[in-house]
Amino acid sequence: MTDTPQDGLHHGMNDGMNDGLHVHIERLGSAHHALVSGLRLDVPPGEILTLMGPSGCGKSSVLAAIAGTLASVSEGLLPLQLQGSVQLNGRELSNLPTHQRGVGLVFQDALLFPHMTVAENLLFAVPACGTNGISRTNAQRQARVQQALQEADLSGMGERDPSTLSGGQRARVALMRALLAEPQALLLDEPFSKLDAALRAQLRPWVFAHVRERRIPVVLVTHDEQDVADPQRVVHLRAMEESTNHV
Amino acid sequence: MSALALFAVWLLALIAAVPIGAALWAVGAQMLDAAAWQALWADPQTWRAWGMTLWTGLASTALAWITVAHVLASGFIRQQLGRWLSHLPALLATPHAAMAIGLVLWLSPSGWALRLVSPGLTGFSAPPPWFTTQDPWGLGLILALWFKEVPFLLWVAATQMQREDLRRRWQAEYALAQTLGRPPAQAFAQIIWPQLAPRLRWPLLAVLAYGLTVVDMALIIGPATPPTLAVLAWQWLSDADLLTQSQGVAAAGWLTGTVLVAGVVTVVALRALAALRKFASRGLLLQTAEDWAAVFHRGRLPLRPNVVWTLILSTYAAIWFALTVGSVSGVWPFPQVWPELWTLNAWQQVASSAHTVWTTLGLGVASASVCLLWSVAWLELAPRRWQQALQPWFLLPLVLPSVLWVVGLYSLALHTRLEGQWLGLSLAHAVMVLPYVLLALVPAYQAVDPRQAALVASLGHGRWVYLWRVKWPLLQRAIASAWAVGFAVSVAQYLPTLYVGAGRFATVTTEAVTLAAGSQRSLMSAYAALQMLLPIAAFALAAWLGRPRRFEKIAPMKATP
Repeated sequence: MTDTPQDGLHHGMNDGMNDGLHVHIERLGSAHHALVSGLRLDVPPGEILTLMGPSGCGKSSVLAAIAGTLASVSEGLLPLQLQGSVQLNGRELSNLPTHQRGVGLVFQDALLFPHMTVAENLLFAVPACGTNGISRTNAQRQARVQQALQEADLSGMGERDPSTLSGGQRARVALMRALLAEPQALLLDEPFSKLDAALRAQLRPWVFAHVRERRIPVVLVTHDEQDVADPQRVVHLRAMEESTNHV
Repeated sequence: MSALALFAVWLLALIAAVPIGAALWAVGAQMLDAAAWQALWADPQTWRAWGMTLWTGLASTALAWITVAHVLASGFIRQQLGRWLSHLPALLATPHAAMAIGLVLWLSPSGWALRLVSPGLTGFSAPPPWFTTQDPWGLGLILALWFKEVPFLLWVAATQMQREDLRRRWQAEYALAQTLGRPPAQAFAQIIWPQLAPRLRWPLLAVLAYGLTVVDMALIIGPATPPTLAVLAWQWLSDADLLTQSQGVAAAGWLTGTVLVAGVVTVVALRALAALRKFASRGLLLQTAEDWAAVFHRGRLPLRPNVVWTLILSTYAAIWFALTVGSVSGVWPFPQVWPELWTLNAWQQVASSAHTVWTTLGLGVASASVCLLWSVAWLELAPRRWQQALQPWFLLPLVLPSVLWVVGLYSLALHTRLEGQWLGLSLAHAVMVLPYVLLALVPAYQAVDPRQAALVASLGHGRWVYLWRVKWPLLQRAIASAWAVGFAVSVAQYLPTLYVGAGRFATVTTEAVTLAAGSQRSLMSAYAALQMLLPIAAFALAAWLGRPRRFEKIAPMKATP
């Protein structure tokens, strides 16, 4: 892992070093088996990079490395380790815990918390402090939730049990929840793969429009060519060859 | 893992492992006494008692296993398992001793079963001199163990089958097997049961060990001449003579060896059965598989009520009823179906010795809470590999005889000067409670989606927010019921309470078992009923605490601009 000077933390947000997400993976894998190596991803703010490849090539692990959630991906298997760097707006992330990275995640399952209403799910994500560091009142946080519900075309559904929503509605809540946390980068892990074709076609432009609006770098993982957001920014990941001494 | 977390994990492992190890060490040291073993072999009762132990333990375990397979199969096939298992906490909460006492109230020569048909059918006007309880064949004990162990096995199966991930997968696989042309019973027997049965292996071994080594139930309903080896060991251990005491330790050791060998044999037998089934599913023995499936699921009509399950439920209901009526009965001459005199005397006596109830409650709350805190901390902090490696060690109290544990725990308590102290007793209870709490929590923890933690962190929240606002609220039901199970186990403890408590602590269980030897039917019934009511109250509390959140059915439509 790369060592970073601690003062790198204080740039980024305040002095306009808004240069996007730069990922350099020298090697990502377990002690015996490299899953991904020699990968560079550069995503400017407001752009969506699409990461494609066959199952098992390590797409999701790349996202986990960026978000700092490798521990949860490798549950049960050999632990995965990253050698390389992840920089977001001038900050080195690779030594930070996930909750300090400012990287949002959306999975193929909406993963709405089943014990909270739709509105509570959204409220859970709204930070107690604004970007300017001033703490928000409850009313301000609630207002953001209501606004998000409206943007997701779910006004009046805030008090619903999330399990009563349709697949498309759930996907929209999941995205809104991720965005309400005001991430500085967003990772979408096959966000459309559980929806049917018609719903995908509807949801795709909606998602892309919303994330572009935030002017943050976005990485989208998919195995469906139709999901590609920007044909200029597509990275194909190939499956690494199995090491011959595989036990 | 940070150094602090690593330290905490080590500490947790030591806290739980050291008492278990030290108790085993202490009892092991006492067993190296050749004279004791010679006395054990020379005693004419030993071999007959051992034979009785094997017979009652193996027969009750086999019956319980077959019954559980049958109930799970028909419940799953009829899609009614969830509904059936919702009665489970009440059955589970009925302690062993209360179960045995309730059966005695029905089956004894002066019991209800005979009263109902006397003198009309039998012509008896006085209780006949029959051995219907404490029968020399151990049938009463087998019956009591059988009915008591079925709910335990079902409960462990339920913790697996109600895991969201497994439930969905098994439903899908079961449907798939039927599309491949398997009738429902076969689909269950070939697809679901082979996946479920291995998960029940530890609990089954616990049931086997319990059946082979139970003391309190055997004292109440088991044979007396000779008793089972566990009862004999217990009698020797409580003897004043030192050689007899060490003979008791040797008997506990012999019993432990028996449990281990029987456990290995059971595992091998189950493996062999599974192999046979695999063989069968390859088509070589298809007929066998079909026969087996038919045995498995006799009721072909999908709407026929399940006989076995109904039988179990009505037995429990009959026992609760007998205990309730028994506790308020006064004079009750033999052939009459109802008591001549109703009285609250017994309950007044219970109320006047309220400290017994407080001791029971205190021990239960303390040991269940300590074990719950430890288990949650352990499951949160310890890496999966550690958990898997150490789990068998923590489950040892479940599979080794309680006569063995009390000897070890007592000498541990002697060394630490905790014998006869409240602290020592509650720690002894905690050792016995821990495996049940852990067993109750582990499946729920394994079902947690690891992506959820990643998601919460990506929303900018730290670990504590995740635990307090997402993970633990979602595990609330499992946590609450694990606590209730721990409480129920503590309430039912007989040997540790008597032995480690050095006879200074009376709980509702020790009172009930002691009274079962006497003739105070109403007082015995009252304590047995109380012994059952306390765990039921705990389960009710747990159900209330773990109730799922109610959402508004349909959200009020707001006028939106």
